[in-house]
Amino acid sequence: MRYFAKLHGQKEAVPVDIEPAGDHRYKLTHAGKTVVVDALALEGGALSLLMDGHSYNVEFDEAGDEVRVLVRGQWSRIDVADERRLRLRQGTAGFSVEGKQLIAAPMPGKVVKVLVKLGDEVKEGQGLVVVEAMKMENELKSPKAGKVVELPAREGTAVEINARLVVVE
Amino acid sequence: MAKIRKILVANRGEIAVRVMRTCKELGIATVAVYSEADRSALHVRTADQAFLVGPPPSRESYLVQERILEAARQAGADAIHPGYGFLSENASFVRACEKAGITFIGPPASAMDAMGEKTRARQNMIKVGVPVVPGSTEPFASSEEARAYAEKIGFPVMLKAAGGGGGKGMRRVDRLEDFDSSWRAAKSEALNAFGNDAVYIEKYLEKPHHVEIQVFADAHGNTIHLNERECSAQRRHQKVVEETPSPILSPELRAKMGEVAVKAAQAVGYVGAGTVEFLVDVHRNFYFLEMNTRLQVEHPVTEWVTGLDLVAWQIKVAEGEKLPLTRAPTPNGHAIEVRIYAEDPGRNFMPSPGRITELRVPGGPYLRDDSGVYPGYTVPNFYDPMISKLSVWAPTRAEAIERAKRALDEYVVKGITANVRYLHAILSHPEFTGGDYDTGFLPRQHEALLGKTEDPQLTEAALLASVVYAYQRDQKRAKSLPQAPAQGEVGISAWRRALRHGR
Repeated sequence: MRYFAKLHGQKEAVPVDIEPAGDHRYKLTHAGKTVVVDALALEGGALSLLMDGHSYNVEFDEAGDEVRVLVRGQWSRIDVADERRLRLRQGTAGFSVEGKQLIAAPMPGKVVKVLVKLGDEVKEGQGLVVVEAMKMENELKSPKAGKVVELPAREGTAVEINARLVVVE
Repeated sequence: MAKIRKILVANRGEIAVRVMRTCKELGIATVAVYSEADRSALHVRTADQAFLVGPPPSRESYLVQERILEAARQAGADAIHPGYGFLSENASFVRACEKAGITFIGPPASAMDAMGEKTRARQNMIKVGVPVVPGSTEPFASSEEARAYAEKIGFPVMLKAAGGGGGKGMRRVDRLEDFDSSWRAAKSEALNAFGNDAVYIEKYLEKPHHVEIQVFADAHGNTIHLNERECSAQRRHQKVVEETPSPILSPELRAKMGEVAVKAAQAVGYVGAGTVEFLVDVHRNFYFLEMNTRLQVEHPVTEWVTGLDLVAWQIKVAEGEKLPLTRAPTPNGHAIEVRIYAEDPGRNFMPSPGRITELRVPGGPYLRDDSGVYPGYTVPNFYDPMISKLSVWAPTRAEAIERAKRALDEYVVKGITANVRYLHAILSHPEFTGGDYDTGFLPRQHEALLGKTEDPQLTEAALLASVVYAYQRDQKRAKSLPQAPAQGEVGISAWRRALRHGR
């Protein structure tokens, strides 16, 4: 079975083929080479991974489409999808910054400032809204150049995590 | 003064838990106060008694003096420990405690008054011959007057809030052209943060170290110091890593700074635990910055190398006991503390409140975790993002660094994002391991500390592991979906059925 994995901040997703090889063992093919790994699933969403005689304790934390993966103190953010999901997601956010982009609240907090109006043309990296949490103000920026087509954010209102704030198309 | 039997801790989070731990060891009963956002907080669970003091914002709960005092009366507490922040340096609260017949565990109000307002503190220090950073000691009548003063002492200068602390209202100004806008911004920040818009000017020192001396005084006129802490690893004027001994202090300089710190404390009639902060320049000249009239976040490193419990000392001094030492102990070994914040360094240090789904704290020798959280706890949005302090001890600095890095590797927190990797990057950076890092270290190495330390082998392991994870998850989901409609589900669409079984 083929999966596509994209590291946070990189544009291209890489294909990885996986086949079960019995007793929590898997054959993985990626970048032209094949490895057999022993991946024992543990409670709380962790894996004990044995690869080329190396032992890795791997922790996972799901965050939206991405999975955060902790290996020996290093966190990576990875978006993994199979072919069917990849097709379903085309044209939406995730694997590319094409199409409509939803800017959602990254944490619970309070909208202290809305920096744009509906219909505004914005540049990539331009500030859209400012959300305050834990006594700190955070400016959320546009992931792409485009037009503000939806603006549910209201100054002075409290928002939950993942609340819709701005949509840029 | 009588023995204290019950202490109300007027604080939350790790410091409230830390104070209560010592109280338990001393056989003293504990009382917590909590806001509506903190019903599930660890300090409430740790205490013997707990009282609700108001809504989530601290100015409506933890900062309301009458509510705290009312809780103390109801509980029959004979003393209040303020922790740090909140009411810990509020002289009017100290007076209100005295009036209510409750012992305030901290210095007298008069000492707080003398040190609380920064320009007055500078004047007091100049009077007793303590060296201060060159700068103004009087408020300015106008921005023109302030600008003229800055020109006279020469740029760069630092603007600082007289009522200040914690980096708020602080601005560095490099050029005359920038003076007016920075002056206005500093004044407005100071007014918002401290209700006082007085701002003073100091000469900006090149590459300064922030080195502070822990002092302790009893009510019998004895004052000693307990050596220094190096706190130059700062971001936005907030400390991130602290260590002791300072890698730049010679025993002679330590003795000299300690002597001056003791003199500063004595000059204001200090009692209890306090910290005298200094800037040390490249020529190893040192200048008084300010005095913190409370216990500090970074006190565990001093506890490691002195073998003392500073909270126990605070309580004993408040009971009228004499200090058990007459002079500073020689530092034993080396200690490092890192502050674990619920924030995401990869996204401009954005705060990351939320539910902690999993928490595994490191163990092993000579390691301490002062935490205010637990698995399943939701970090609220209303308070400081610091969730825990990890500190270690080792015979040498190099060993302490390795131990702290090892401990950070073991630290797992899920559900929220924490700065664990960033702290690891700081401890691995040659400027830190070299020992001569100044307060510009973190801003200067900002980019390097954020990501260039990525190990490609670990990234590959993470990538492959993520595919195995996704595969196992999909297999499990496929298995849990019934092939044919189960009993009682006839007539429900396949889509609804799938939803019911979790996709």
